[in-house]
Amino acid sequence: MSATAAVDYNAMDDDAFRAEARAFFESEYPENLRFLPRRLTWAESKPWWMALSKKGWLAPNWPVEHGGMGLEPGKLIIYWEETERAGIGRMPDQGVTMVGPTLIRFGNEAQRAKYLPKILSGENVWCQGYSEPNAGSDLASLRTEAVLDGEHYVINGSKIWTSMAHHATNIYVLVRTDKQVKQQRGISFLLVDMKTPGITFRTIRNIAGHEEFCQVFFDNVRTHKDNLVGKLNEGWTIAKGLLTFERLNIGSPRRPLQAFEQLDTLARAQKLFDDPGFVDRYTQLKMDLNDLGSLYQRYVDKARRGEALGPDISMLKVFAMDTYQKLAELLLEAGAEYGAYADEITLADEKIDLMAQFYTSRPGTIYGGSNEIQRNILSKYVLQLPG
Amino acid sequence: MTQPDFTEHRSMLSNSVADFARGADLARVRKLREGNPECDRKVWTQMAELGWLGVLAPEASGGMGLKLGDMAIVAQGLARALTPEPLTAAAVLAVRVLADSRNDVLKGMLLEGLVSGEILPAVAWQEEAGSLDVNNINVQATPAGDGFRVNGSKRFIMGATSADGYIVSARSGQELVLLSVPRDTPGATLQFDALADGRQSGTLTLTNVIVPKAQVLNSGAAAAESLARAIDHTAAIIGAELCGIMSRSLEITLDYLKTRVQFGKAIGSFQALQHRAVDLYIQQELSSAVLGECLAILDGEPDAKTRAATASRVKARCTDAALLITRQSIQMHGAIGYTEDCDVGLYVKRAMVLAAWLGNGHAHRRRYAKTEILEGAL
Ligand SMILES: Cc1cc2nc3c(=O)[nH]c(=O)nc-3n(C[C@H](O)[C@H](O)[C@H](O)COP(=O)(O)OP(=O)(O)OC[C@H]3O[C@@H](n4cnc5c(N)ncnc54)[C@H](O)[C@@H]3O)c2cc1C
Repeated sequence: MSATAAVDYNAMDDDAFRAEARAFFESEYPENLRFLPRRLTWAESKPWWMALSKKGWLAPNWPVEHGGMGLEPGKLIIYWEETERAGIGRMPDQGVTMVGPTLIRFGNEAQRAKYLPKILSGENVWCQGYSEPNAGSDLASLRTEAVLDGEHYVINGSKIWTSMAHHATNIYVLVRTDKQVKQQRGISFLLVDMKTPGITFRTIRNIAGHEEFCQVFFDNVRTHKDNLVGKLNEGWTIAKGLLTFERLNIGSPRRPLQAFEQLDTLARAQKLFDDPGFVDRYTQLKMDLNDLGSLYQRYVDKARRGEALGPDISMLKVFAMDTYQKLAELLLEAGAEYGAYADEITLADEKIDLMAQFYTSRPGTIYGGSNEIQRNILSKYVLQLPG
Repeated sequence: MTQPDFTEHRSMLSNSVADFARGADLARVRKLREGNPECDRKVWTQMAELGWLGVLAPEASGGMGLKLGDMAIVAQGLARALTPEPLTAAAVLAVRVLADSRNDVLKGMLLEGLVSGEILPAVAWQEEAGSLDVNNINVQATPAGDGFRVNGSKRFIMGATSADGYIVSARSGQELVLLSVPRDTPGATLQFDALADGRQSGTLTLTNVIVPKAQVLNSGAAAAESLARAIDHTAAIIGAELCGIMSRSLEITLDYLKTRVQFGKAIGSFQALQHRAVDLYIQQELSSAVLGECLAILDGEPDAKTRAATASRVKARCTDAALLITRQSIQMHGAIGYTEDCDVGLYVKRAMVLAAWLGNGHAHRRRYAKTEILEGAL
C-alpha cells in the first residue's frame, strides 16, 4: 500500500484538494490521450493506471484500509470533475468502479484479500457479464446458469455486449441459480477467471468499426464456490445496490463540454455566428448544458449531505444523454459537408473528429438502463402512475 | 406532348429497380469500408443497360428523355439497397449540366458515353462548405491560347473515385465557365476523404491546367443558370434517395419491434415504442408527400426562385426525417443497433452522407428563409 494513501483528503479544504488533483492530472496524464472520443484500451490505459496506483489515487471511491482514497461524496465529485476537466479517458475501470465496491460491501475478507490488491496493481482487469442475447432491458430474465458440483459452480450460457472482455483477465457474472422462484430471487453474483477452460469469446465491432465488446460463451466453466459474492440468490440485490451513486457520474455536465468546445471551434471557422438560426440553436444547447449543471448540482448537494439518492436520479441520465446527443447532432449539422466525413478534419488549425463524437454520443441512451427504461422507472416509482 | 406513356414508364422502371435490388446484397456495400472502389464498372454497365443512366438524358444521346419523377423511382429504389454507385451524381447532376452545353461535339460525346456507361464524369463545382451558390467560387480561368489556364481547388466532389473526368466551374472575369477536364490532365490532382458510408469525397486541385476551347462546355449566364438548375434537381433526387433510406430503415426496425421479446412481450407492444414508431412513420409519409408534389413542380420547370425553394423543401424535410428515423432505428434496436454487423448502421451512415451532400437541412432552410420569407418581409 502506498505511503500517500495515509493522507486524509477529506480533512483537506475543497479548493486545496481540487488544486492538487488538477495539478496531478494536468502534469501526469499523457497528452495524446486527452479528450479521446472513445474508451481507452487496456494497453493505452496501463501507464496512467500505474501512475494513479503509485500515488494511491486509482480507487478514489474505496476506503483507505483497502487501498483507496476513502473520499467522501463531496471530494469524490471534485475528483470526477477534475478527471473530466483534464480530458482523462475512460479506462477498463470495472474493477475499480464495480468489483471493488461490491466486494467491499457484499464480499468476504478472503475475497477482498484475493482480488482488491490485484485490481490496484493492474494485474487483474475486470469486465461486466450481465447482459445476454435475450436479456437486455429485461435483465432479470437472464438464463446463463450455474449449478453447484462439489466445490465448484459449473456455468453454462452466454453473455453479450461485454465491454472490453477481450482485454479482461476476469469477469463478474450474474447467473441463474434457482429457476423455481420469482426471476429476481434466483440470481447470483459470481467471479470468474477469463482463462478458465470452457470460456470462449468473439469480439464484436461497434458501429464505428472498433472492437468494443464481446460475446462470451460459457461451456461447463468451473469457478470455485469461494467466488460467490454475497449469499446464494442475492445477486440481483447486489447488482441493483450499486447503481444509483454511479448514475450521478454519468449525468455530469462536463462530459459533453468537449463536444461543445468543438462546436465552438467549428462555428468560428465556418462563420456560423453570423447566422441567427445557428446562434439560436447554439444558445439553446449552451443553456441546456448550464441547466443540466443545476440539476446535477442538486444531486451532488444531496450526496454531500449524505442523503440517499432515489429513483428520481434517472432523470439526470435521461436529460444528460439526450442533451449530449443533440449536441453531437448539431455538431454534424454545423459541419455542413464535413458532417459526412468519416475521419478527423482540420479547421482553423484544430483537429475535430465529428463522426467519432457522433458515434460516442449514441450508446449512452442504450446502456446502463436505456432512456426508455429510465422513463419507465420515473413514471412508475416517482410519478407512481398505474400500470 | 408530355409523356403519354407516363405510367407505363414508371412501372417498368420500378420493376427493373425492384429486380435489381432483390439481387443486390449488402456484403458489397460493407466491403467499401475496406477501401474497395465505390463504383463497380460491371454493375455500372448493367445500370446503363437498364437505361437508368439515361432516364433524364435526351433521346438524341441515347437517353429516355424522361422526368425527375421517373428518375426518383430509380434513385429511391437503389438507395433502399444502399447501392454505392454514383447514380445521382452522374445521371442527374452531370447529365443536366451536359445536356445544356452549347458545345455540341463535346456534349454529344460525353452524354452518349455517360448514358452507355463508358464515360463517367463528375461535376466539380463547390468550394466552400455550406454554400449552395454557384457563383460563390474562386477557381480562376484566365485566357491562354485559344482556351484557359485554370487554377484553384474544388471540394466535396461525389463520384470522384471512378470518374474519368470532371466538369469544373470557374470564374473567367465576371463570367462563369463550365469546363471539361479529363482525369489525366497535367496539373489536375485528386485527393480523397473517406465518408461515413465508405464512399469518398473528392478534392480536385488544379494548378495551371490548360483547357483548350474545345473543352469549354458552357459560359456566362447560361452556364450559371444551368448549374443552378442541375444542383436543385439533384438535391431533389437526393431527397428521393433519402426516402428510400428511411423507408428501409423503418421497415427493418418495425420487423424488429415485432420479433424482439423483452419482459415476455414483443417490444413493439410497449406504448412508448409504438408512439415513436408512429411518429417516424408520419415523418416518412410527410417526406414522400413533399417529394411527390415537389418533383411535379420541378418537372413543370418553374422560375429559378420557385425552383430553389421547391428543391429546398424536399432536401430539408427528407434530410431531417431520414436522420431521425435512422438514429431512432439504432435506439429501438438497443445494443445490437450499435454494432457494425447490424444493417441499420449502414442506413444511418448513408443518411448522413446524403444529408450533407448539396446542402443539409440547415443550409436549405437558410436558403428557403432568404428567398421565401425574409425577402417578402422587407
Ligand atoms: C456500448 C455498450 C456497452 C455495453 N457494455 C456492457 C457490458 O460491459 N456488460 C453488460 O452486461 N452489458 C453491456 N451493454 C448492454 C446494455 O446493458 C444493454 O444494451 C441494455 O441493457 C439494453 O438491452 P438490449 O441492448 O438487449 O436492448 P433491448 O432490451 O432489446 O431494447 C431494445 C429497445 O427496446 C426498448 N425497450 C425495452 N423494454 C422496454 C419497455 N419496457 N418499455 C419501453 N421500451 C423498452 C429499449 O429501450 C430499446 O430501445 C452495453 C451496451 C452498449 C451499447
